[in-house]
Amino acid sequence: MPEDAVLPGQDILPVLPALQGLLPAAGLQRGQVVTTDGGGLLCLALAAGASVAGAWCAAVGLPSLGVRAAVDAGLDHDRLLLIADPGGTWPQVVAALLDGCDIVLLRPPDRPSAQLRRKLEATARRHGSVLLVAGEWAGAQTRLLVASREWAGIGAGHGRLRACRVQVVAEGRGAGTRPRAAWLWLPGPDGSVAPVADPVSPDQASPRLALASSAPAGSAPAGSAPAGTGPAGTGPAGTGLVSTG
Amino acid sequence: MTGATRAPRRVLVLCCPDWPAIPAAPVLGPVPALGPEPEQGPGPDARAFEQVVATVEEFCPKVEVLRPGTCAIGVRGPARYFGGESELARKIAAAVRKIGFSGQVGVADGLFAAELAARLGGPPGSAGLIVPQGGAPAFLAGQPVAELGIPELGYLLPRLGITTLGEFAALPAVEAANRFGTQGVLAHRLASGLDPRPLAPRPPSVDLSAAREFDPPVEQSEPVVFAAKSLADQMHARLAAGGLACVRVQVQVHSADGRQMTRFWRHDGLLSGLAVAERVRWQLDGWRPGRSADGEGPGPGAAAGGITLLRLIPDQLVRAVGRQLGLWGDAVVSDRVARAAVRVQAMLGHGAVTRPVLAGGRSPAEQVLLVPFGDAGVPERPADRPWPGSIPAPAPAAIYPVPLPARVTDDSGEAVSVTGRAQVSAPPAWISAAGVPARAITSWAGPWPLTERWWDPARARRQARFQLVTDDGSAWLAVVQDGRWLVEASYD
Repeated sequence: MPEDAVLPGQDILPVLPALQGLLPAAGLQRGQVVTTDGGGLLCLALAAGASVAGAWCAAVGLPSLGVRAAVDAGLDHDRLLLIADPGGTWPQVVAALLDGCDIVLLRPPDRPSAQLRRKLEATARRHGSVLLVAGEWAGAQTRLLVASREWAGIGAGHGRLRACRVQVVAEGRGAGTRPRAAWLWLPGPDGSVAPVADPVSPDQASPRLALASSAPAGSAPAGSAPAGTGPAGTGPAGTGLVSTG
Repeated sequence: MTGATRAPRRVLVLCCPDWPAIPAAPVLGPVPALGPEPEQGPGPDARAFEQVVATVEEFCPKVEVLRPGTCAIGVRGPARYFGGESELARKIAAAVRKIGFSGQVGVADGLFAAELAARLGGPPGSAGLIVPQGGAPAFLAGQPVAELGIPELGYLLPRLGITTLGEFAALPAVEAANRFGTQGVLAHRLASGLDPRPLAPRPPSVDLSAAREFDPPVEQSEPVVFAAKSLADQMHARLAAGGLACVRVQVQVHSADGRQMTRFWRHDGLLSGLAVAERVRWQLDGWRPGRSADGEGPGPGAAAGGITLLRLIPDQLVRAVGRQLGLWGDAVVSDRVARAAVRVQAMLGHGAVTRPVLAGGRSPAEQVLLVPFGDAGVPERPADRPWPGSIPAPAPAAIYPVPLPARVTDDSGEAVSVTGRAQVSAPPAWISAAGVPARAITSWAGPWPLTERWWDPARARRQARFQLVTDDGSAWLAVVQDGRWLVEASYD
């Protein structure tokens, strides 16, 4: 590891608190390869914790990366390099970036050969950086995937997307063999990533609702009208709430 | 340097009216539209004007090209040599006419007055309009405020009852500053016949580049990189002798098989000879195909004919004033990151490595500006404004650079449309995008109409936006524009 690395002397790059339970070392082990399915928010959220702590990230082959979503999840856009189209020389590009950045997000434009994979893994180990692959990577130490997801706050023609409850499953090799799973708000109502407080009752929708229902205490069933957002809230249920208060 | 009391120097401006249409007839006055067709290709204006500049350079070596069609020289020295200002003006006009262009000359105190004088031209038969020393304020006083070339003021001042520069100059400078800010101060100085900035002459066309030929052609990068260091030192010495620095340095490499590769590298007067040499090495590495994946040592395909010539050309010369890094603000780019980024730029080009800057806007794609690594980017739409009508948080995780055309239908298979009053023809039930098989829509929200920039036909936009959730749990941001559905972004 070069002496001017951003987070010197740490073998483990931090991740967001909500994701710690999913990773065997409660963080991203330097020199390892971690995969996620698809280049979505999960991939960005994994890099966010280290970015907050001062690490540099590079995203290779992700032209559609939603920077605003990444920033809301905690990624620092000042320390993010985007290489949207690495073309046919992507292995050299990734190798060069593994030397300079702490985390490289990669969606390989084509399926890498076993030899190429080993070469890039060795490069990551030598420079002590983490390769986060959005997609397949046969030799990955840890694999994270979204097992189920459910959006809250939106109905049939009313409301809007507010938050998404996601079950993330992690499986790995060696020390990480035991599959781990966690329910997360990915993203939460403000775009951040947070653990779901009460994973057992999946259908009682949005987190804002959870906050609101804590106030009127006893009158729980009325809470299911909530969505408070659309025309639905102005019906008889709304008047009922007024009369109780 | 430009104190309020200091009179500006005498300046001569040569102006070729209606420049792009180059008149062949050596006559002054209104230019007939019968001239030969301007030659095609990039920047023909600028290249043709080079001839005029070269002609003027024979009178005075320090010519400042203001834009194609207009150039300026300081008049004091040449006027003494050529026998007075009017004589100099006459000689320059004649010389320009001799090479087949028509030009008008104006001489006055300060660039602004001189340019205006050149545009107006003198009485018929004279070489040009010469405003006597100290006469600039009087000359300017009668001109309309539109001549300031500042559209806001040209519009606003007449509405305030100020139609001529003289009336504007009569206002106290403090009031101009209070009401119109920095721009007002500048305009007020111009209207009063003062110079807003000193003339920055184009340096005489000395070749500041440095080149080395290789005979026989060299196969390895090392000798080229070694030569690059001494060339860079040479170039820096020449720049320093002229008190100049360059914003970018252009590295040209010719190979024995006739190919040529040119790259611009950001310099900002900050790179040492060694650093330039390092960039030459990156450029050579990026050029040569068949390299090993981790970038160590040339691969088997390195011998691409050998290198015959290396040339370093300073680009965008500026005065060397030194440069200081920002005290705070920019995230400090560590050497290690910069090295990696520049190496990737050597492989893919300057624009291929970008840093995102948050900008303002109502659609997700507008909210991010991608700035090439090493450049400074300031978004024209600041992010810290309210932007009513933008999509509320959470932001989509994937924004397609090119929106995907989609087909959205209702339960009966009819395409869903949105009326001008934002009424949906039927609840959307199925979506298929870019060849993906149809998926059922489980919940949806919208339409949210958006009408933007109706005053600017080129950028005007009218659309209705929807959020859709499909039966596999994915969420999408879709828009209807001109009756067509487009998927703009995905939320997971």
